[in-house]
Amino acid sequence: MLGQVLFSGLALGSIYGLVALGFVVILKATDVFNFAQGMFVVCGAYLAVTALSLLGLPFPLAILFIILGAALMGMGVHAALIRPLSGRPILSIIMVTIALSIVMRAGIEILYGPAGRTLSTPLPSGGFLFAGLRISQLHLTAAAVSWLCMLAFGLFFRFTSVGLLMRAAADSHEAATIAGVKVDAMNRLAWAIGFTLAAIGGLFLGQLQIVSTELETIGLLALPAVVIGGMQSIPGAILGGLLVGVIEQLASTYISPKSADVMIYALLLVILLVRPWGLLGQKAINRV
Amino acid sequence: MSDLATPKPAAAPALPRAWPRRFILWGLALAALAYLPVLLTERMIFGIYLSNMTLLNLGLSQVNLMLIAMLGALSLNYLTGCAGLISIGHAAFYATGAMSAAVIGTQLGLPFPLVLIGSALAGAVMGVVAGLPSLRVQGLYFVLSTMAVHYLVAYVFLEYQFRVFDVVGVPFGTPSLFGFELSTPMRWYFFLLALVALVYAGLSNSLRSREGRALLAMRDHERAATSLGVDVRILRIKAFGLTSAIAAVAGTLYAHYLSNATSESFGITFAIQFIAMIIIGGMGSLKGSLIGAALWLLLPSIITGFAAGFGGGSGIVGSMLGEHRAQFVQLIFGLLVVALLIYAPGGLVSIGPKVRALLGRWRKG
Amino acid sequence: MASLLEVDGISASYGRMGLALDRVSLTVEAGSIVAILGANGAGKTTLIRAISGLLRLHGGAVASGRTLLDGQDVTRFSPDRIVRLGVAQAPEGRMVFKTLSVEDNLAVGAASLPRARRGERMDAIYHLFPRLAERRGQAAGLMSGGEQQMLAVGRALAAAPRLMLIDELSLGLAPLIVKAIYERLGEVVATFGTAILVVEQSARIALRYCDRAYVLEGGRVALSGTAGELSSDERMRDLYLGAAAGH
Ligand SMILES: Nc1ncnc2c1ncn2[C@@H]1O[C@H](COP(=O)(O)OP(=O)(O)OP(=O)(O)O)[C@@H](O)[C@H]1O
Ligand SMILES: [Mg+2]
Repeated sequence: MLGQVLFSGLALGSIYGLVALGFVVILKATDVFNFAQGMFVVCGAYLAVTALSLLGLPFPLAILFIILGAALMGMGVHAALIRPLSGRPILSIIMVTIALSIVMRAGIEILYGPAGRTLSTPLPSGGFLFAGLRISQLHLTAAAVSWLCMLAFGLFFRFTSVGLLMRAAADSHEAATIAGVKVDAMNRLAWAIGFTLAAIGGLFLGQLQIVSTELETIGLLALPAVVIGGMQSIPGAILGGLLVGVIEQLASTYISPKSADVMIYALLLVILLVRPWGLLGQKAINRV
Repeated sequence: MSDLATPKPAAAPALPRAWPRRFILWGLALAALAYLPVLLTERMIFGIYLSNMTLLNLGLSQVNLMLIAMLGALSLNYLTGCAGLISIGHAAFYATGAMSAAVIGTQLGLPFPLVLIGSALAGAVMGVVAGLPSLRVQGLYFVLSTMAVHYLVAYVFLEYQFRVFDVVGVPFGTPSLFGFELSTPMRWYFFLLALVALVYAGLSNSLRSREGRALLAMRDHERAATSLGVDVRILRIKAFGLTSAIAAVAGTLYAHYLSNATSESFGITFAIQFIAMIIIGGMGSLKGSLIGAALWLLLPSIITGFAAGFGGGSGIVGSMLGEHRAQFVQLIFGLLVVALLIYAPGGLVSIGPKVRALLGRWRKG
Repeated sequence: MASLLEVDGISASYGRMGLALDRVSLTVEAGSIVAILGANGAGKTTLIRAISGLLRLHGGAVASGRTLLDGQDVTRFSPDRIVRLGVAQAPEGRMVFKTLSVEDNLAVGAASLPRARRGERMDAIYHLFPRLAERRGQAAGLMSGGEQQMLAVGRALAAAPRLMLIDELSLGLAPLIVKAIYERLGEVVATFGTAILVVEQSARIALRYCDRAYVLEGGRVALSGTAGELSSDERMRDLYLGAAAGH
């Protein structure tokens, strides 16, 4: 029983980690705490519905469609909303992302109707027994792809020269500008990546559940995940995602399904009071 | 400051003329406010029958809900706009109010004035507790702590609802204030109107007090307030307690007005709509809270009313509007908030003076 | 032939405040070291920002005048474009990337070079500043002030600039380190033909290491000339060298 719960917790947690990673990329680059990340997940799921069910694209093309669509939307959000508000007080920034999620939700419900849709992809959906556990292939694929994406991003961020310039821009916009980095382009790229990672999460979450705007709540679990892991830390986001997934599954199995949220947020509150910089965050290195 | 110091010789001759005019305006406004519920109930004026359209599709119930929302918006604006504490936990204080009202009123059967006092106290305590993290964390971290508080309270409400009552929700009876039964929308209207006026006056007085000015100073520059010799952190928690008490009372009234509340009544979107109201009206302006709440509560029925008026099902726009009214309202509000944040961060109240200045220049030029 | 850098009557201001620069003109020839001197608030940093296209980032703007790089008008170019034209900067306050390693800091500077030249360029910088080589894996934020200044200069040099702008090179540094950095810069000028425009608080240091100097006062050029001319200038001696001697 416990093994089963841990398996689905870790699998879902991997997806949350992926979404949270996208969140941190945006946060690091532009200091925006993005409350619309949950809607980005929903967008990914609906992009998948559009590509697979409405346009009938073959699966590889559909993936390309989702990635490109998400990247474009991320850039659009940055250009239309985030850049004009840079340097404004924190409430304005928070609120613009909240308003964005309201607009996106309404737009999606107008375009696709408020009812949920099922998403079917050629991904394997059966299950098998392993060491006494029932392993769902879809969960396994989702986790594997999430880890692959996180790894790919990690390598890109750490070892490529564009990754280096992104890190420089995230460190200090002014210093990066002085050093000749196109900070604006880097920020746009960060939003594109953040949106895309959330959209990939949405592709899987939409398939594990039903595609509807209700997926936003699941996507928003990235927020506590990021804070628990450590705001500015990339490994922290992934760890936070895993923790949130496991806690969610444990709480809904052993306490009640409705207690999952409160357990996660209780942990968040404890972390905020005891160790505000999170499990893997660093206390002050970039606040000097 | 310098206003008080410098004498104003020009003001003296203006007084006798200005005073009656102000009285007349106030009198007219009061008369209009007093006549409004009659108008909305009888739906006629000077013997002329008014259609739904002429009344902008508004009913007295919407106005009452608007007045309740004004309480929420006023308190949140005091907290966020004036004291500088951003809170996503406002729904939690509504829920706290509703829950304590259910215990005191529905379960124990105590009279309504006690219910009000009890929920205000519960709200204040809850607010102080929710404000405590501000001693340790600031900015975004504090926002998140209020969000966590929201989920904790929401869960308690859920448990309470399902243990004591059932899926249908928590029922609330008709409240009665010393024999004055709040049994009709009309009665509610006058009661709520008085309450909103009271809270407005109270909050704006408090802003003019020494502590209030320290709050404003602290919002702008934390150091400045510290040098005023006020303990900023205590003030913040006080502000949190005060505004939460108001929000809890608003929650109690909201639950009684709808005569039922469920765990779904006070979700995170419920909290967010108050933030939207104060951004639309004007952050840091009590008047702005009223404008924001009025727009938020009344505009939807006006929009959908017009949609229905324009031939209902004819044409693509008409049919889309008909099918997705709620979504269109959300879309419009979302876009309004975005546009205001970008182009007029001071909200609608900040646009008024700008427009007037423009008009003035246009008239002169 | 046009000079490497020609600032032609630049006026600049921040918002509605008065002019921070008032018709400033100066020239920097290839392979020379030119100093800008002046009291606090004289407009030295503003001049550097105007040249490197950074005024807008600080809410300022060039009101009139031009900056020419090899005769090309670059007044309204974006900062990254100016960097790619060969103008690199070690800014006031160092502004190294605190969370990045020393190596990564230099790599950001070198990023505008073709890939093949980057490694060789970094080696040259490590050769100039062995201290940086010792610390290449360390987070820049954890280095001492002097080391950060070396890193800031190194990062600018990594872009293989034709013109280096250095704001407040000697601020807060021990005289020995200042001397060391200036000697390194002398080598750079000698080997690569790089020109350097350096803001200095100390007239003494400026006149020792630089070929020419301009003195700013209230946003205007009050004095200018070669190091030799200025050393014997009376006003210079009274206002700057005398004051410096008082320390
Ligand atoms: N970002 C800014 N916004 C508004 N005014 C500014 C800004 N930066 C500088 N100023 C003003 O412009 C003038 C010139 O400043 P600048 O920084 O160029 O002086 P400086 O010569 O570099 O002084 P210091 O030796 O102290 O570095 C000063 O009066 C300063 O107050
Ligand atoms: Mg300076």
